[in-house]
Amino acid sequence: MTKNTNSLDRRDLLKLAMGAAAAVAAGAALPVFTPVFAEDEPRKTARLGKVDYTKATAIPTICFGCTTHCGVIGWVENGVVRRIEGNPLDINSRGKICSKANAMISYTYYPDRLLYPMKRVGKRGEGKWKRISWDAANAEVAGRLKKIRASGHPERFVFHYGRDKTKGFTSHFCKAFGTPNRVNRRSICSSNRRAPLMSFYGRDFEWETQDVANTKYIVNFGANPMEAYQGGMFLMGRIQDARVDHGARMVTFEVRPSTPANVSDEYYPIRPGTDGCVAYAMCYVILKEGLYNPRFWKRWVNIPIETMRKHIVDDEKYTPEWAEQKSGIPANTIRRIAREFAKAAPHCCTMSNRGSAKHYNGVQADRGIRLLDVLVGNVGKPGGFCLSSLRGWSGKYGQDGLPKISIPGPKPSSPKPFLEGTPQFAELPEHVKTRVRRFPDAWKKKYTGELNTPSEFPLAWHWYAMRVGQMIPRYIAEGRAKVDLYMSFTYGAAYGYPEAKQSREVYKDESLIPYHVCIDINYSEQAKLADLLLPDATSLERWDAHSQNCHELIPYTGIRQPLMKPLGEARPVQLMMRDWAHLIGGGMEKYFDFESSMDGLEGLYEKWYANISAKHKGGWEEFKRRGIWHDETRAKDYELYERPVTAKNLEGSRVDEKTGLITKEIKGKRTTVGIMQDGKPVQGFPTPTRRIQVYDPVFELAAETVGLPKGDPNGLALPTWFPVPEIDSIADDELVFTTFKWNVHTQGRSGHWKHQTEIVHANPVYMHPSTGKRFGLKNGDRIEVTVKRPKGLTYRANEKEPVGSFEQTVRFLEGVHPKVICCSHHLGHWEHGRMAQAKAGPDTPDAVSSDRDMTDNVWWATSQDGPGNGVHTNDVLPLNPAPLVGGQNWNDNVATIKKLS
Amino acid sequence: MPERLPWEPSGKPRAMKRAGIVIDLRRCIGCHACSVSCKTEHDVALGVFRTRVRYVERPGKAQLSFLPMLCMHCQDAPCIPACPTTAMSKGEDGRVYVNESKCDGTTDCIAACPYDAIQLDPQTGIADKCDLCQHRTDVGMDPACVASCPSGTLRFGDLDDPDDPVSKLAQEHGARGFREDAKTRPTVQYIGLRPSVEAAVTGGIQLHPEEDEVIYVQKKSD
Repeated sequence: MTKNTNSLDRRDLLKLAMGAAAAVAAGAALPVFTPVFAEDEPRKTARLGKVDYTKATAIPTICFGCTTHCGVIGWVENGVVRRIEGNPLDINSRGKICSKANAMISYTYYPDRLLYPMKRVGKRGEGKWKRISWDAANAEVAGRLKKIRASGHPERFVFHYGRDKTKGFTSHFCKAFGTPNRVNRRSICSSNRRAPLMSFYGRDFEWETQDVANTKYIVNFGANPMEAYQGGMFLMGRIQDARVDHGARMVTFEVRPSTPANVSDEYYPIRPGTDGCVAYAMCYVILKEGLYNPRFWKRWVNIPIETMRKHIVDDEKYTPEWAEQKSGIPANTIRRIAREFAKAAPHCCTMSNRGSAKHYNGVQADRGIRLLDVLVGNVGKPGGFCLSSLRGWSGKYGQDGLPKISIPGPKPSSPKPFLEGTPQFAELPEHVKTRVRRFPDAWKKKYTGELNTPSEFPLAWHWYAMRVGQMIPRYIAEGRAKVDLYMSFTYGAAYGYPEAKQSREVYKDESLIPYHVCIDINYSEQAKLADLLLPDATSLERWDAHSQNCHELIPYTGIRQPLMKPLGEARPVQLMMRDWAHLIGGGMEKYFDFESSMDGLEGLYEKWYANISAKHKGGWEEFKRRGIWHDETRAKDYELYERPVTAKNLEGSRVDEKTGLITKEIKGKRTTVGIMQDGKPVQGFPTPTRRIQVYDPVFELAAETVGLPKGDPNGLALPTWFPVPEIDSIADDELVFTTFKWNVHTQGRSGHWKHQTEIVHANPVYMHPSTGKRFGLKNGDRIEVTVKRPKGLTYRANEKEPVGSFEQTVRFLEGVHPKVICCSHHLGHWEHGRMAQAKAGPDTPDAVSSDRDMTDNVWWATSQDGPGNGVHTNDVLPLNPAPLVGGQNWNDNVATIKKLS
Repeated sequence: MPERLPWEPSGKPRAMKRAGIVIDLRRCIGCHACSVSCKTEHDVALGVFRTRVRYVERPGKAQLSFLPMLCMHCQDAPCIPACPTTAMSKGEDGRVYVNESKCDGTTDCIAACPYDAIQLDPQTGIADKCDLCQHRTDVGMDPACVASCPSGTLRFGDLDDPDDPVSKLAQEHGARGFREDAKTRPTVQYIGLRPSVEAAVTGGIQLHPEEDEVIYVQKKSD
């Protein structure tokens, strides 16, 4: 590291870092152009000179700009990370980046970044802090955790994460501690979409991995692989190559001109909540006209095609004419697209995500979309709907003999279920006990309380723990779970959740959350409601394992490694947890047997990746030098289900004559390992029937257990379309309010990334010009948007009182569906420092560094007559979990608008 | 000796007669990788844009078009004769750049440029514009925008070399300059540039809230 020659005196630095409570003493603003980092640390100076690439050091690592996680190269000059580029060895990203990779630099060197442990000194939420030492912070956290663990109620430690890419590390800690409550945010993201994948294929394969590079036809129901989708970077370039170089066609159904809609060969603005109608009508056409693949269906689907034909075709309920009436898409267009899709098979695939799935009917809508692929038999085929062998390397399905990478050392066991008779069960509210008693045994053995396994949403954890994160603050408020210590990690419910104001009320209430620890790189809305703030290291300062599904369909992995020493006293979460484990003791420490330092952490990852290092001549050092590894000797993950059962699995197995299922005793449990097909033992799909489960009785079981009305379409075993009640009955003067995310932003996490926020810092309400005309509006008018409660079987349905209102200006946009108004959801921050709030001007006394852009150049700040930082929309969106699965129905918000003078 | 990795620069410039960028709009997804990479590469101040991506509405169409823009490195660059201090210069490979030691911030170049590709750095007061990443191409690397582009929209090559694949691509698809009526003979060439898009983007390259045809709220150049 280069020695810093002009650092401030340590005393000054301490003063600057002391935070608002003590800040008055720090006095004057910092001189402009003088970023202040801790002593001995290199600084970013005013206008930086050109990088000399022949002298700068290139270090590969993994981007953390979004959930895609591309391999990148960081160029370090004089100890400062100057440039991020794609890693050409990354076969997934193909050596390219998007705008957000650049933000690794701007968020790491962000002047208002959180760099020291801070303890609350005022009232909770008041924003008054004092800096404390790591020793004091660790003693505080570990002391409390030790007490909780000793109390016999380890579940009262709740670890709630938003973006955890430590790949198992925090789970390791929570298991070692004994709490099941390592909870997440999957339900506000993708659970409605993952449930159909789990049901059909037995895995969501960390997303399916459509082979878009080799496809001829893509039908996209509201997925946004060019702006928001996990794996977007891996898909966007391949889709464009397929379209431009190989003549593939892409058809998109969306409610607004998303990037995929804009670049598609055909874009159809669709009435919200009716994507499924088009899919079911396409199924109708394919079945009726005999365009399906009978061989594939017979071999791999768990019900006869006749059953499907009867369900979809015979009573004429899913005709294109019906779909036209519901969705507004012309019947003949649907017919043509269905025929073209089937004709392109197997080089065709569907895509879907929030547009189709984040609705009350989203799970069943997506089952209809998945059905299209199964009908034409493109599953696992080149150019088709492919399934990777799970994150490319772990080898749990399909590919055998892959190098294992996992946390070295002893493995803590999972927390025990809350069975009748345990003190945990005794504490549950009566109505929850009653429901749990109705569970089948398999679910009772999985049930670990309302936060991790909410009893009213069994399909949120039947396959694996997706959980229903948006309901967790409510559950705590309702007394469904007691909390002693709540830890937020890279998590922003206070800003980003539906009805975020409800979360804030819960976090403010010390009787519900007696102690709140917040771990993040930045001072967020969530952090503001904590008692202790712990500064995490950014992606340029840390180690993490990397795994994503690989779009080349071969084993692939990489390593995130530090390019610089963590600034200030930031510390990666792994080291925090290691220290707590040693302080708590009681056996926890044996799971964290490494030194408490960055070097100690490297030692851990070196062991973690021993099998990958072994593939390199220079071992660990060479793997680090390359950053990414893939195994090109492997056959691509095409048709994994046709691969023979391994000799190891065949040994001692037996075949059920009726079903053809090959089962074997593994660890005392009879487990399905394959299926006989034409006299040959093949792997099939990792489902209970080893076939694609188009018919899945688990929906019926779940509906019956939680007491949905008999025949409710959420609980039907066959894929079935049904309307979103509030959209189906929408009045002429009502509109559907949809939120969305621009490509340059990453949910609520990017407001302080200066280059991203410079591009998008305003979020007008977009609407079709005809909608504006209908409501007597012109571009630039101000309106008030008021959102109503939903009408389905969900939280606070049918209440008359609206959820809330916000005011914003109107911007006409031709590509928005006339029944829709939309607004981007990642703006209007009231924390995250100056950039996110568009507060240009002198450094605040507690700023940890300075940047000319922050002090002088925020041209969109209201103080510079700019439009400011936009409007926060998440308070007015109702908590609206889908029945059974619990995914947030983000896109069902029926709203009224009022013109403001 | 360990194997040389693909990102390690050769250290040698590529000999080029006319260095330029071909922008294949059929591929563009408007992701801003180019514009933000440019900002980081050159530490360009907020409010100044060497590279921009415009989102353009077309009348009566539901789909938006994307348009990355940067200095067009004109063969007849009007900024060069306009500069009273001869700071605006042309390299041997045709690229147009600012000789910073000569620039005194008079802004004549800004007035002369039909593409609003030049702005003043707010702190230094010196003209700021794209130089096709001279410091990168000097050591055998592609410009930052090209190196980042995930959809293969931006490509760097020698447009006077008939064997250069980028030059061939331009030939094959009838690439053309932006607003050729300005008679500046741009070296930056577009494939798939729609006349309606070209017509909509008349003045400032950046987007502005008052402009109807563009939808991001961004700063219009001063």
